[in-house]
Amino acid sequence: MSDTTLNAVGAPGTATNTLINEDWLAVVLGLLIFVLALAALVHVDLIGWVVTTSVWGSLSQALKATSKDYASLGGIGALLATYVALTAVLSAGAAALKTDVKRFALAFTAVFWIAYASWIIGNFAHFAAVTPAEQQKFGIAWSLKLTNEGGYIFALIAGLIIANFFPRFAEAIKDAVRPELYIKVAIVILGGFFAVTAAGKLNLASSLILRGVAAIIEAYLIYWAVVYFVARKWFGFNREWAAPLASGISICGVSAAIAVGGAIRARPVVPVLVSSLVVIFAVVEVLILPFVAQAFLAHEPLVAGAWMGLAVKTDGAAVAAGGITESLILAKNAAEGVRYQPGWILGTAATIKVFIDIFIGIWAFVLGYIWTNHINVTSDGDKAKLREIWERFPKFIIGFVITFFVGLYLALGTPADIAKNVPAAIGEANTFRVIFFILTFFSIGVLSNFKMLWQEGFGKLAAVYVVSLFGFVIWVGLLISWLFFGGITPPLTS
Amino acid sequence: MAQQFNRSDLREELRRAPVEPLLPIEKKLIAWSLSIGLVLLFGLALLNHFVPATF
Repeated sequence: MSDTTLNAVGAPGTATNTLINEDWLAVVLGLLIFVLALAALVHVDLIGWVVTTSVWGSLSQALKATSKDYASLGGIGALLATYVALTAVLSAGAAALKTDVKRFALAFTAVFWIAYASWIIGNFAHFAAVTPAEQQKFGIAWSLKLTNEGGYIFALIAGLIIANFFPRFAEAIKDAVRPELYIKVAIVILGGFFAVTAAGKLNLASSLILRGVAAIIEAYLIYWAVVYFVARKWFGFNREWAAPLASGISICGVSAAIAVGGAIRARPVVPVLVSSLVVIFAVVEVLILPFVAQAFLAHEPLVAGAWMGLAVKTDGAAVAAGGITESLILAKNAAEGVRYQPGWILGTAATIKVFIDIFIGIWAFVLGYIWTNHINVTSDGDKAKLREIWERFPKFIIGFVITFFVGLYLALGTPADIAKNVPAAIGEANTFRVIFFILTFFSIGVLSNFKMLWQEGFGKLAAVYVVSLFGFVIWVGLLISWLFFGGITPPLTS
Repeated sequence: MAQQFNRSDLREELRRAPVEPLLPIEKKLIAWSLSIGLVLLFGLALLNHFVPATF
């Protein structure tokens, strides 16, 4: 395994003497973008310059500023403005994390341009155009019909190529390869976007949120117990390896493996190695499951969304897989004349993931209590403490909840002349959410050095993962998604 | 720390790890988790059946 993988995955959990940790930084950045976007409610357009990409046949059609107020910038101007703004803000964040700012800025420059170039390529009409009308518009006879969100796959593949064929370059840009930070910022912004989507159908949104409870039970009480048993009994792992491994596979990948590893007082290397494995398999899932969902669950869109949230591990991969799935399924239905509102499939996947994340701290405490009181009782009195629940709580969820309820209030509780501007304002923030998704996909790719699977000893860890994921987690996730989300469809566009 | 661990030793590390049979407390944890989980899922499935989603 590359050092890049280990250091980058381990970094969030190991920073101690910083002004702020990565979790809180994500909340600050996400809320900053959200608040700036809301200025549009009082007709002050502060972030309309952010670049957006359309499906293109000629490169000159690809880029433009999100808001007409900044149309004079042109596509390249908007892209440069977006790069400068993100570099400045994220470099300030890097300084708060006590990272070398110059190295971060240089690394981020490479990450941003490669990732966004991949996104632009993914929006090429021959890749992204879906309907015959779109093909006709671009004057093409064929397309891969990957939708514009297929650009995420291109960013992922670009990252994979760097990780596996240019490991020295991957090492050089590791300071800015931070999928956990990027996806957490995206999820904070997503809260507002989901609120606007939910505001139109509050009853349906409430029903979906209530059904998210099933995901918590499944991940913590069913998945974890089975995977832990498989790792201990069938593969003979000791407790120090089995507990983080079960948590990584069954709950939420990187965060859960690190939280539980810390709680049971495992050596830090154990959850870090498990996390590396989680990222690799998340990539495999992202490359396969959305297309499987499109093929077999196109008429059960919310089952597909819930399935992504339950089956794909790591926040970044799961929520982003929800985004790709939504795009693929909406496109397939649109081709059949059924036009679902966007946002519901992605919102379902994100809600499921956030619901699961909420309990990481509590589950880590429960395991920590059992380990320190009944299994590894030490003479120095190092027992699990209640405050660890808060310490291990994923703070970005607070940002998601804030933007969700503020967005809901603005959409439903304000006078009509303000409420009517809310979707457009939050839409600008959502453009940033897309960019953070792109950065997440690229970063996940860069962290996925498949050569590690051939490293001696790693095969046994991977075997537990394969058996658990493909033999159990994916299928039980599908069953539960079907049970609780079957027959529920998103509203149609008016 | 991660950096102190020689990754080429992973196989050796796993090979040398002592065999640890499942303790009664682990068996209890697995059994209780599964039991509570299945009961709660069954309850939720019933709730889902009798209180369907509203559109």
